[in-house]
Amino acid sequence: MAVLRGDIELAGLTKSYDGVTTVVQGINLRIPDGAYCCFLGPSGCGKTTILRMIAGHEDPTGGEILIGGENVVGLPPVARGTAMMFQSYALFPHLNVRDNIGFALRIRGLSKKDRNRQTDAMIEKVRLTELADRLPAQLSGGQQQRVALARAAITEPRVLLLDEPLSALDEQLRVRMRLELQRMQRDLGITFVHVTHSQLEAIALADMVVVMDRGEIRQAGAARDVYATPRDRYVAEFLGGQNVFAGRVDAINGDLASFASPQMKHIAVPVGSAPVSTGDTIDIAVRRDDVGLVRPGMDVAADTSWLASRVLAVEYQGNFVKVMLDATGTDEFIAYIPERTFFRDPYAIGDVVQATWPSHLARLLAKTTALTA
Amino acid sequence: MAVSRSMTSWLYISPLMLVLVPFFVLPILVVLVASVFETDGFGGLIPTFTLANYGTVLTSGLTYNLYFETVKFTILTWFFTLLLGFFVAYFLVFHVRNPLLAIGLFLICTVPFWTSNIIRMISWIPLLGKEGLINSALLHLGLIREPLEFLLYSGFAVVVAYVHQLTIFMIVPIFNSMARIDKRVVEAAIDAGASRFDIMRLIIVPLSKSGIALGSIFVASIVMGDFFVTKVMSGGGSASVVGAFYEDISVLQYPGAAASAIILTVILLVMVSLILRSVDIRKEITQ
Amino acid sequence: MSAVPQSVAVAEARVTKHAIAPSRGSRPWTFYVLAGLFTFYVIALYGPMICIYILSFQDVRGGLVFPMKGLSLHWFVDLFTQVRTGDVKGAFDRSIKLAIVVTVITVVVSFMSAMAFRRRFPGDNIVFALMIGSLVAPGLVLGIGVGLLFNAIGIETSPYTSALGAQLSWTLPFGVLVMFAVMSRFNPAWEEAARDLGASTWQTIRLVILPVLAPGLVAVALFGFTLSYDEFARTLQTAGPQNTLPLEIWSMTLNVTSPSLYALGTVTTIISFLIIGAALGTIVFIQKRRGAGAS
Repeated sequence: MAVLRGDIELAGLTKSYDGVTTVVQGINLRIPDGAYCCFLGPSGCGKTTILRMIAGHEDPTGGEILIGGENVVGLPPVARGTAMMFQSYALFPHLNVRDNIGFALRIRGLSKKDRNRQTDAMIEKVRLTELADRLPAQLSGGQQQRVALARAAITEPRVLLLDEPLSALDEQLRVRMRLELQRMQRDLGITFVHVTHSQLEAIALADMVVVMDRGEIRQAGAARDVYATPRDRYVAEFLGGQNVFAGRVDAINGDLASFASPQMKHIAVPVGSAPVSTGDTIDIAVRRDDVGLVRPGMDVAADTSWLASRVLAVEYQGNFVKVMLDATGTDEFIAYIPERTFFRDPYAIGDVVQATWPSHLARLLAKTTALTA
Repeated sequence: MAVSRSMTSWLYISPLMLVLVPFFVLPILVVLVASVFETDGFGGLIPTFTLANYGTVLTSGLTYNLYFETVKFTILTWFFTLLLGFFVAYFLVFHVRNPLLAIGLFLICTVPFWTSNIIRMISWIPLLGKEGLINSALLHLGLIREPLEFLLYSGFAVVVAYVHQLTIFMIVPIFNSMARIDKRVVEAAIDAGASRFDIMRLIIVPLSKSGIALGSIFVASIVMGDFFVTKVMSGGGSASVVGAFYEDISVLQYPGAAASAIILTVILLVMVSLILRSVDIRKEITQ
Repeated sequence: MSAVPQSVAVAEARVTKHAIAPSRGSRPWTFYVLAGLFTFYVIALYGPMICIYILSFQDVRGGLVFPMKGLSLHWFVDLFTQVRTGDVKGAFDRSIKLAIVVTVITVVVSFMSAMAFRRRFPGDNIVFALMIGSLVAPGLVLGIGVGLLFNAIGIETSPYTSALGAQLSWTLPFGVLVMFAVMSRFNPAWEEAARDLGASTWQTIRLVILPVLAPGLVAVALFGFTLSYDEFARTLQTAGPQNTLPLEIWSMTLNVTSPSLYALGTVTTIISFLIIGAALGTIVFIQKRRGAGAS
């Protein structure tokens, strides 16, 4: 392992525990060296299994895992140059902070002097010097997390694997620790692979977000791409911030599709070169912060889509107001109105309104059934 | 991978099997074999297959008396240990407010478990005897004129000694399952208007079932397999299945004794497996 | 099952939960009824034992019942010198040595078995059923079976062969069940973390699993020692020509009608208490050492 490149390639990676149901279904993915990559998905989507296979705590049923270009399947964890930070940290309850962090060095047979020198440097890095003699049970959640991070980092891994690292913390601490993780990743300059079910966490931290569903990758890309241009209904709904609704195409003029149903007759969606024809039912996404509200009868600019609807509920969120509308029947339709804008002319529940957005900002979503990673 | 994993597991389990096979499976098989052999009457076994030993045992009125006595003591002991054990555990878990005090009181209940059973049994003699503490106290108070004879060397004394020895086997598992009951469940039941009795019947008892089952297995199997307490505390007035087995062995009546032992073992195992069917003890303990 | 390890778990659990309603204010009438029952139980539990300890300190005129006749150590001296009470000293010696061997084997084998039982493996239910069977089988029947088996193969019964095996068939199921309870609080992620940091299987056991489980292992040892030291039914037909202590006590209950018997009770109880004290002391020591952060 002379070249310590931390790029990861998963090729046809498959895992099945019972030979019948597959929890990871032949995924292919490249994570560049030094990236902060988040696997995002609901519980049971296979994201933790992938992490554990990269770490070497589980063997794949099929496919390859390459780290720095070298196939690591079958190698023990320590030979892979990976280190894992476990969910709820798994700190050794009988060892104090110093011995927890220095555990790997002890295994490597370092003398007590060398061990303590390196360990103390690491302890200082994570600002735990005063607590070095404490047991894990005597630490707060945030302190435990720093110990776990230090214990993994001291092995100088090329890849750090984090399994739900923030889920054991309360809301405020989570935000602080998110910054800490980012700082550590910059300091260490190594690849971080982070598994989470929180879209907020993923888009805040990651250079690369991988959205997973039932053992398959739905979309992988930069945080902004995944959030702003979700590929399909699943990704759009999981990341949130989008109104997703379906409609039957009535006509296509140029690259704009229009709809037949009376409620959607003022909506146009750019379809580009997508193979959409009249009569198809398509999924459309409109960002909630792209939606504006006007009173009925007001003029609507050209190239603007609009929906007639009624206010169902209003939720004050501080910097914006969340207005729920009954616009599209079954799908919920929500507008995020900037706080000042909303209170210039506030709406009450039951008010009839028009939800409007510039037509070119609506997005055609891929059909959920057509799945290619 | 899967193969090597189960290999590892068997490697870990092999020392246990090295004890269980020669010191549980084989001895029971030996007794089973002895039970279908004929005897020469002098302790020798003649390797001829016969079910006559079972016939003799099962047709003897003595057998039914023995089983009646043993089952009687088992049921009485089980009843009183359960009653005491359940309410002692209930008191400690639900009525003692200071958790440290509850643990302390619990430990007080468990300490005698670590001392000699036989000593604990004979320690009733100075209390229950004709000139024992209880009789002299009652005489002194003028409540009785003659010493009560039934206190010692009687069925009463047998049950007292068993309950004294075995209540701990009820307290510990019941305490453990009760301590796992989320107190908010009880509070929710109170909110729903449940009475003290409803809570006991609908919440505490069902949720302590595994502890009760585990305790019952211990108490029943120990009483049914014991002969010592019955022998000493009844003063020879009562017999037990295992006691008769011991007598038979000492007069070298191996086949008959073996047949009776096999019947007892089968009854015990059936009883235990019935209890285990209703509660997954393994899951209960490991959770 | 286990008094010591589970009660610790219970302590942790109870601290975080609220007491049953009403947790404040006046106590319900049931409290007083149950408190009375509890007091009665504790008195009945300890009372008789305390009586015989007191009675064992009578002088030479002493009898089996109250009132006390004099105060001396006569019956203790009698116990260890008189021939008529049998070989008490030898029995102590044999019982304690045998109990130590049983303890060591019980701890090691129970630990290994509990390691195996953490996952499912082919045949695990059979092993579990055998274990429960061995636990509930009538001890005397098993003991005689072992005796007959040794007879059939032509080996003399003796403390360190037949009696050891017969006792283990009783202490091991107990030990494994206690280990189950201990293991249920062992987080498998600790083991994975150790592996992740490069530890071999043996290093993981030595540096993580054993130290974490140490208090539980002490509890198993306490079980092993006590169950062996007190074992009667299984040992009766397997110990060979020389008696262990419970066998000695049994023959005394049938023959001896002097406070010597009570003196013996006092002495074995003192030994039991020393063992309990040593076990609790070890657990406290382990916890203290951790708390101090020394390593």
